[in-house]
Amino acid sequence: MQTDAMPQQRYEIAPGTPPIVQLRGIAKYFPGVVANQDVDLDVMPGEIHALLGENGAGKSTLMNILTGIYQPDAGEIIIDGYSRVFSSPVEAIAAGIGMVHQHFKLVKAFTVAENIHLGWSETPKRISSAALEARTAALASALNLAVRPAARISDLSTGEQQRVEILRVLTRNARVLVLDEPTAVLTPAEARELFRALKEFVARGNAVIFISHKLDEVLEISDRITVLRGGRKVETIAAAGCTEKELAKLMVGREIVLSDMRKRGPNAAPVSPQPVLQLEKVSARGDLGNLLLEDVSLGVHAGEILGVAGVAGNGQKELSQVITGMRAAASGRIIVGGKDFSAASAADFAAFGVGHIPEDRLHSGLAPALSITDNSVIREYDKPPVSSGPFYRPRAAAALARTIAEAASVAVPDFGMPVRNLSGGNQQRLVARREMRIASKVLIAAYPSRGLDVGAINTMMRYLVELRDAGVGVLFISEELEELLNLSDRIAVMFHGKVMGVVDTARTDIEEIGLMMGGQRHGAARVEA
Amino acid sequence: MAIRIQRVPSAQPAVALTARALAILLALLTAGLVLAATGADPIRLASRVLSSTFGSSFGLEDVGLLLTPLILTGLSVAVAQKIGAWNIGAEGQFYAGAFAATGVALFIPGPTILMLPLMFLAGALGGLVWILVPTLARAYADVSELITTLLLNFVATLLVYWMATGPWLDPSGHALATTARLPHDVPEFWGIVHWGLPVAVIMSVLVAALFSFTRWGYEVRIAGSNPQAARYAGMPFRGRLIVVMLLSGAIAGVAGMLEVAGTVHRLQGGISNNFGYLGIMVAVLARGSALGVIAGAALMAVILNSGIVLQTQGITVSTVLAITGLILFYTAIGDELAHYRIARTEAAGA
Repeated sequence: MQTDAMPQQRYEIAPGTPPIVQLRGIAKYFPGVVANQDVDLDVMPGEIHALLGENGAGKSTLMNILTGIYQPDAGEIIIDGYSRVFSSPVEAIAAGIGMVHQHFKLVKAFTVAENIHLGWSETPKRISSAALEARTAALASALNLAVRPAARISDLSTGEQQRVEILRVLTRNARVLVLDEPTAVLTPAEARELFRALKEFVARGNAVIFISHKLDEVLEISDRITVLRGGRKVETIAAAGCTEKELAKLMVGREIVLSDMRKRGPNAAPVSPQPVLQLEKVSARGDLGNLLLEDVSLGVHAGEILGVAGVAGNGQKELSQVITGMRAAASGRIIVGGKDFSAASAADFAAFGVGHIPEDRLHSGLAPALSITDNSVIREYDKPPVSSGPFYRPRAAAALARTIAEAASVAVPDFGMPVRNLSGGNQQRLVARREMRIASKVLIAAYPSRGLDVGAINTMMRYLVELRDAGVGVLFISEELEELLNLSDRIAVMFHGKVMGVVDTARTDIEEIGLMMGGQRHGAARVEA
Repeated sequence: MAIRIQRVPSAQPAVALTARALAILLALLTAGLVLAATGADPIRLASRVLSSTFGSSFGLEDVGLLLTPLILTGLSVAVAQKIGAWNIGAEGQFYAGAFAATGVALFIPGPTILMLPLMFLAGALGGLVWILVPTLARAYADVSELITTLLLNFVATLLVYWMATGPWLDPSGHALATTARLPHDVPEFWGIVHWGLPVAVIMSVLVAALFSFTRWGYEVRIAGSNPQAARYAGMPFRGRLIVVMLLSGAIAGVAGMLEVAGTVHRLQGGISNNFGYLGIMVAVLARGSALGVIAGAALMAVILNSGIVLQTQGITVSTVLAITGLILFYTAIGDELAHYRIARTEAAGA
């Protein structure tokens, strides 16, 4: 969607100008995880530089290092040719590097003008609110960002709030603006508005680092693209002349090793002729009332793994919620085991035998402050042996928790300790095992390998195969094409809440799926807007 | 090498306990220093407080009398916290419970053995009615219970003032601003301490058991800790919220009933003695644990009784309130600091 209104003049770099930001050999390790290793990055003045990668590729960690939130375990940060060490975000901002986070850090009850001036050394000590607003208006027009200085943040749209956040960073004389998935919260019109502002910003000799995993917008906005994968830099390429297909390839890796996980053993249950879970033209609205799932028709057969591919945020979350009773469908029918489950509750789905590994386990699959025992039995607390009649039996619950933890190979020193004390990977394995126990018919697994290391991912994949061979229908939502190709019998691709098509894994390739992820319908040559 | 301060997700019990003890000690020390600055002799005051509280059975009985309402209002707040609600209205529900129990006692004739259980129920019902509107507003319209329960406190306080000085004023003319003496007393079992205390302790134990040993209690704990997780597991959040909040109100109402029928024997303005607000402090000290409420209430009762002793020594009520505030303040700081540890790490950077 190239628009004519985009300012076309480019910033001319004088010969010999050093990169405005240069990262050399950056590494960052978290317990059990390599977040970044050997990452080099050059950002020139006047450039919009996209940082592309799947979730967990290390994009946010790298930017948190650049903006002083994390300290690197190895490597060097060079700004304008001088090596720098940022021990806090304040020092990074003083060096001209500002970040706009995915979740805005604004005071909702304050006005735009107050937020702009909050915690700023240049804010006058004594000033009337009218003068404060006048100052804000002047700053906004100087930087060409339209904001309403007197409006309260809570009254603004997300796009406007983002503009305030950007203005806040720019008023601190930022020359490098880091944006973490800025369009995730924007409407297409707001996104175009943002892109225009960014182009103007870099035309003045500044630079933008743009974190994203959306291929189309990365190609549209950036001058160069650095692709990260597994915490390492894959390549930096010029956006001009690059295609979505190439980017998708870089993102998921050139070498796709197809393992034999799709092969079934002799004892595996056959694929059922009738789907065990079926969606007929199902639509659903998000929390804000916007349509996030549109006319989705899918069928999951017993004994098969149906993969769902797509860039995150294209309706996968809503899909998983609708087919587990957590979100009501706005229209359409959901049929489970031959019965109409369109109006069924989460308890009904679970009782039928639908397990659900949710997308954000800590926020919806677990009660972080409660004990590991309490969290392990959340699916079976109302059945014997954990319950008898109205009574809950802590000892039986602890025994079940031990069983689940053993099956998940999670070493638990104390089952009474809050579940949030477990590492992310252990939480994920615990949830997966817990859900597998009740998934006698269907398992909905949303990004089950997110945040896991390679070994744990393999274990997780084996879990899914185990269920498939036992005759369970598995709906497997993932962003990792490699995983999807290795595991799924069929793959459905989602884009903007719609299913672009369902393909047989044996007869497709990464390029076909990549195109559908970008909005092209299966079998169609035309690219949808 | 660099020294860094790290936050750990949950504090070690020993560290937490030490932090608590240090906090209370520091609060008392601060109070002592301020008192010394105003010319009082803190050492003498402290020994006076200790000897009049723990040195005689009278002192302990006074503490026991304060303990009953504090356990129950603390329990009321702790119960609401289990589902993530803040009941700031235990004060109002206390008044409503006392009011309802007084009405039953004054206007329904009957033998004490029957009337006391009836008054108990009336008290519980009074507290329940007082939290009903905030509960429904929270459950169906997401109106903050923090505000609604708080505001209803003033309504209840003024209602009781008016009834005790107006329609229900003692007709005999002996008392100026109270109702007639209630015909039924909660019997005493030790000095002036009435059976309300064991009742309050039993109620705490029952509530603790309810949350630990029933399916319903488990659902409430999950829903209170993370409503999203309750939705995920198909638990009915709204239904649990309503029942828990009503239970919270009923418990505060019982506190009011026991206070009027066991300790004061007449309904009068100011009967709550701020027990409802102090219950919030008790619940915070107890960290929301139903059994911990008993310990929290005991500490608060000793502080209150010390306050009364201090007042006989010429220390003002506001000073006493300030000391209780200091204790809570330091405790909150101590609880937070217990989550930190100092660690040595390799220096970062190139």
